[in-house]
Amino acid sequence: MASHSSPIIHFDHATFGFPGVIALEDISIEIQSGEFIGVIGPNGSGKTTLCRAVLGLMAPLKGHLRIFDCACDELRCHHKAMIGYLPQKGVVDRNFPVTVLETVTMGRYGALGLFKRPGRKDREIAMESLSHVGMDMHKDTALGHLSGGQQQRVFIARALAQQPQVLLLDEPTTGLDITTQHNVVELVQHLHEELGLTVLLITHDINMIRSRVDRLMLLKTRLYAAGPPADVLKPDILSQVYGKDLVITDKDLVIVEDYHHHH
Amino acid sequence: MFELFAYDFMQRSLLAAALVGALCSTIGVFVVLRGLAFMGAGTAHAAFAGVALGYLMGWPPLLMALLFGLATVWVTGWVEEKGRMKLDVSIGILYTATMALAILFIGLMKTYNAEVYGYLFGNVLAVTSEELLTIAGLSIIVIGAIVLFSKELYFIAFDQEMAEASGVPARRIFFLLLTLVALTVVISLKTVGGILVFAMILIPASTAYQLTHSLSTLTWYSILIGVFCSVGGVLISSYWDVPSGPAIVLLATLLFFVAILLSPKRQRQSLAVN
Repeated sequence: MASHSSPIIHFDHATFGFPGVIALEDISIEIQSGEFIGVIGPNGSGKTTLCRAVLGLMAPLKGHLRIFDCACDELRCHHKAMIGYLPQKGVVDRNFPVTVLETVTMGRYGALGLFKRPGRKDREIAMESLSHVGMDMHKDTALGHLSGGQQQRVFIARALAQQPQVLLLDEPTTGLDITTQHNVVELVQHLHEELGLTVLLITHDINMIRSRVDRLMLLKTRLYAAGPPADVLKPDILSQVYGKDLVITDKDLVIVEDYHHHH
Repeated sequence: MFELFAYDFMQRSLLAAALVGALCSTIGVFVVLRGLAFMGAGTAHAAFAGVALGYLMGWPPLLMALLFGLATVWVTGWVEEKGRMKLDVSIGILYTATMALAILFIGLMKTYNAEVYGYLFGNVLAVTSEELLTIAGLSIIVIGAIVLFSKELYFIAFDQEMAEASGVPARRIFFLLLTLVALTVVISLKTVGGILVFAMILIPASTAYQLTHSLSTLTWYSILIGVFCSVGGVLISSYWDVPSGPAIVLLATLLFFVAILLSPKRQRQSLAVN
């Protein structure tokens, strides 16, 4: 467990949603620099809203959210480039005319600002990000020609090219085969250790991350539990959130039946 | 054929065609990549309604075209952003409603006005020196804006959500793109006409799309194809005495199908299937 002292993300009784539709209610948590946090919860539990909030795309309706040293209640924050974001995997048009290096270089655009072109230094950062994810050999390949797992690596490299302090990943393993899922999560753990990145990993797959994260956040509109996996993954706590979708085997493995992502 | 170049009107129309071809095919890259093809077609019809209202009321037709075009792109852009309605439905309604307005305005005119129809079908051979200057001036503004914001425009075309998340002012860039589309349509009305302008935006970029995997190469191919088809179309038009708009668009369409047949992407896909 990382033991840095300064919280870099601080939810203080924060509620998010639209008037009449509450997606997240009364969330309070401090996330320290260098932590690896797993965010779990059933479908529709507000995981993606949490993402949008951390990205500074959504202001709290009530309470406060502070990221780095900036209050995000007004959405006037400029911390976006400091958060490397991997959105839920959409379908990449096979034929979209973009190469791997061009994709990763886009990660520099936010930090560069308007009117400035990516230069040699930006290309070096992009190449370095590609080698962090082991894709530097493919820099000139068309993105659409890569496998799903390789594309995820390229998108992680794009997030790294922002030189972020926080890596925010929304269901990074969805739609990948089991081996590739493990490879992607291993890569994330490696980046967390190697680069000292604070990681927020949102997933429905508890087993994939339980042994890797410092803390788990269990969401279902409210934050039901937050703490080390051993404290959160208890039958009485989990059953409050998952109800009868929860199955616990004799080996103490927690299996959550997920109707959307059943492999 | 070469004696044609000696005529002033011919030089003007070739220059106008080249400018409009370059302009349309540049903005077209972003329209195609961002999936705004249908929105652009709607804009062209709205702009024509503006022209008709201008002639009916005695107001400057191109200014009215610009106002109508901008209103259409901003409303559809806003609808897309809010996701309140399926985009094809909202554009479909605006598209037909503005066309109905155009027909209404023309119907309200007491006399037959051939100039209005000029904006519908376009006639590059009739471009005057002042119009050429306007086209050149506005083209410089639009292409300048595209060059200035090209990296952001590419990013939102690829993935607007990602662009916004990484600190690019994606929303404002998206509305800038919509505004540039409306301006391009208005600039091109006189030369290719309201019905065909969108072919000039769509076809060169779609043709280039078949041929490359690199964003920058795509843009250059698109411009090359756009200018080639515009200039070639004008030459065909004057040489064989056929209308210029259709000559340009059909030449572009022909190239598009040739590109599909020769596309390296297509060949790679069929190899993968085998």
